[in-house]
Parts: sequence; C-alpha cells; structure tokens
Amino acid sequence: MDYDPMVMDDAESLGPVVKISQADNTRVKFELSNTEICFANSLRRVMLAEIPTIAIDLVEIEANSSVLADEFIAHRLGLIPLNAEGIDALLYSRECDCDEYCEHCSVTLNLHAKCTGDDIMQVCARDLVPVGDRVNQVLGSPIINDPEGQGPLILKLRHGQEIKLQCIAKKGIAKEHSKWAPSAAIGFEYDPHNKLHHLDLWYEQDPKKEWPPSEYADWEEPPQEGEPFDYDAVPQRFYFNVETAGPIPPDAIVHEGIKVIQQKLAGLIHELTESDGGENGYNGPRSPGYNEGGDNWNDQGSFTPYGNGGNQSSWGGQGGATPYGATPYGGGQNSWS
Amino acid sequence: MGKVTKFGDDGEEVTMKETPTSHQPEAQDDVSMADAGEEGEEGEEEYEGEEEGTKVRLLPGSTPTAASFEFLEENHTLGNALRYVIMKNPDVEFCAYAIPHPSEAKMNVRIQTYEGTNAVDALRKGLRDIQDLCDVVSDKFLEARKDFTEKKAAASA
Repeated sequence: MDYDPMVMDDAESLGPVVKISQADNTRVKFELSNTEICFANSLRRVMLAEIPTIAIDLVEIEANSSVLADEFIAHRLGLIPLNAEGIDALLYSRECDCDEYCEHCSVTLNLHAKCTGDDIMQVCARDLVPVGDRVNQVLGSPIINDPEGQGPLILKLRHGQEIKLQCIAKKGIAKEHSKWAPSAAIGFEYDPHNKLHHLDLWYEQDPKKEWPPSEYADWEEPPQEGEPFDYDAVPQRFYFNVETAGPIPPDAIVHEGIKVIQQKLAGLIHELTESDGGENGYNGPRSPGYNEGGDNWNDQGSFTPYGNGGNQSSWGGQGGATPYGATPYGGGQNSWS
Repeated sequence: MGKVTKFGDDGEEVTMKETPTSHQPEAQDDVSMADAGEEGEEGEEEYEGEEEGTKVRLLPGSTPTAASFEFLEENHTLGNALRYVIMKNPDVEFCAYAIPHPSEAKMNVRIQTYEGTNAVDALRKGLRDIQDLCDVVSDKFLEARKDFTEKKAAASA
C-alpha cells in the first residue's frame, strides 16, 4: 500500500485498536479506536443484519388443539434461537439443488406434546426434537440457557389438549427477517460527552442534570468550561456492546461480521478482476440487441477497456480517436450522450 | 445471487423498467440513451446471472478517470466505508456514493481520479484496502480477547 487509509491527522497511527472491557458467554463490550465511523458503522450494520444463522422457517401443523392459533404458534417457533454452530456447512435453501428442502439446506425439528395430567403443561423449546441427518450434531438445536433447562416457552396446554407439528429450520440473514439475527442487540456509541454535537439533547432546565452520563463518560475527557467547538473533530472511539441471542457466541459475532464484509469485498473484487481479464468477457452472448443504436459503450463489454492501453477507441462512439477527449458528451457522436 | 438470477430470468420485468439509469450524472434526455441503458442492464444481467450474478457495473457516461458504478444488493454498509477508503487514496480527486431510491436495492459510487490513473483501479484498491482493514481489526480483536481472558484468569487465580 502506498498510503495508509487509517492515518489520522493527529495520529501516531498504529492502525485500528481494539480494547475489550467486558466479555463473557452472552456479551462482549469493546472499544474500537483509531478508525473511522464509516468502518465502525459497517461493522455494526453487518453484525446486526447480515450474519447467517438458522431459524425455523416452515411449520407443518398436524394437530393443534391448544388455545393458540396455528400461525401464532408458527411465529413463536420462528423466533426461538437455534444453535448456529457450523452454519457455513449448511446451504441456503434457495441455492440448494433439492426441490423444497433437504438435509443439506435445512434441519427438521419435531414437536409433539399432549397434556394428560390435570396441571397446565408448559411446552418449551426443549421439547423441539431435531430429527434426521444434520450437518453436525448441534446445528439447529434449540438454545437453552435458563437454569431449569427448559428453553423459551412456546405454549401451554390444558388437560386433553395436544400439539403436533414439524418445523423446518433454514439458513438466513436478519436482513430478510429479524428471527435470523445472531445478536439480541448491538450497542454502538461514540463521543459520550457529545462534544461533536451529533446529538441535540432535549432538556427542561439543564441537560447535564437530566441526562445520565454514559458508562463511557469516564473514558474520555469531559469538555472544558468555555471550550470552543472543534469543527474538525471526527468521532474516533467507538464503543460496541455485542449481546448474543444464543445462536453464536458474542466473539464469533464480531468475527463473523468481519468475515461477511470480507466476503462481500472478495466477491466484488473477483467480479471486477474477472470482467477485467478476458477480452470482452461477456460481450458475445448479448450482442444482438445490444448494438442497436450503435452504442459502442457496450461494445467492448469489459470494465476497464482503457486499462489495457491503446484501446481507447472502444469507449467512444464513432469518433474512435477522441472517445472521451474532446467531445465525449457532445452532440450526436456517442449514442449515449 | 439468488435474487439477481431471478431478475435475469424474468426478462419481462427487466424490460418493463422504464427508468434504468435515473441516477445518471451525464444523462441527457435522449431516447437512445434510455434505450442503451435499458438494454445494457438486461443483457448484462441475463448473461452474468447464469453463473455469478453481476453485482457491479459501469454506468454509461463514464470515462477512465471519472466513472460511476452501480452496485446491486449493496447499501450503506459497504457504500460509506468504500467511499471513505477510496477518498483516502491520493490518486482520487472525488468519490461519493448514493442510494438513488430506498426501495431499489442499488448503490451508486462515483469516482473521479487525477490524470494518469483510472477509476476502476481506484475502486479495486478501495475494496482491497477495506479487506486489509478488516484483517487488522479481526486480528486485533482476537488479540484483545485473548489478553482479556488471560488477565481475567490471572486475576481470579
């Protein structure tokens, strides 16, 4: 790299810095600094919405004599966190070769409960039984973290009531439906003293008294009395609080998030490089309707025709010699101008 | 990929789109322009959709040093970070991104570079730079997490 994208104006720049302030099985709190809000926000967005997990997507109800409606139960089932360990080995259903679903792109869970006693029976996530082949032994199992080992309550049955259903859990991301979100919440905070004035705090008499200080307020210098506003200041320290809903451990959410960004970028670079390579990579199949109107812009197809040197005429219209020099957008020369 | 493929398969839907390149900086009201854009979209997607699904294309009106790219299925997540990183490149004179319409899953990036370099290289470099950045953050996180666990273990021991 002939330049460092992370160089700050005032930096003794060592690149981004991560400091962890709390970490356990359910959450990790860390500070990301020496980077830009753009990247921090990308990471936040990706962790929130684009990490693949598994959730119940189809429910076939065989018997339901409970007081809850079928669709109500189906919705509740969808929201039950399932273990997403080894999700990479599972295919997206839409990308699988099978007709509807199979063991390569789904996990099947059965639920069958009937209340025979006099007490109200609680049907919990624990009662969901994974059946059939799975990618691994834990993928798709309900997450059970409560001390009783029951898992989330799905419904209650009275004497004689019965529920029997089959659930198909599929891979997905939270952008499609939030049931696939790996995190319960992503805390994201910067500038605890509001020095940058990104917030306009509502108050009655005194915002300092009425707004409780952030837990990160001690980490940064409070503004001095009468300190002038710094117009050049940019946010530099970002406080993340990643709390998992269960499917993936909190650290893994961070790593997976970065991985998702990497994959996005890799896909794009691949595409750019590919279309760059072979001469007129995707020109052939599309030519017929394509050259109508003589638009030579499409003609050479490739992304960087000009990168090949001497290939200038490919860009312009009929002019050829001065494709985008003198009269690129001038009248009539190029069909697209 | 799935979505792009669907789009390409469904030829009708593509041709029905009346405003293919509404976000054109250089677009002038010219029928042939609109036609070219429309066909471009259809042709490319049809072909690429078969295998990869094209996520990025160069918009008409682009020149080597001043190009607009259209990304499909991308949003602020990539757009803002990309814009920032590309702007850090000293070869780049100008870079901006826009999401022309919230209900279209499209993101446009405009890159203008100085003489002698080209915009596609700047884009590619931008993408690589974010990758590097991701690597660093990932490593730093792993490191910090390890330190934290060790410190905690040491404190409790």
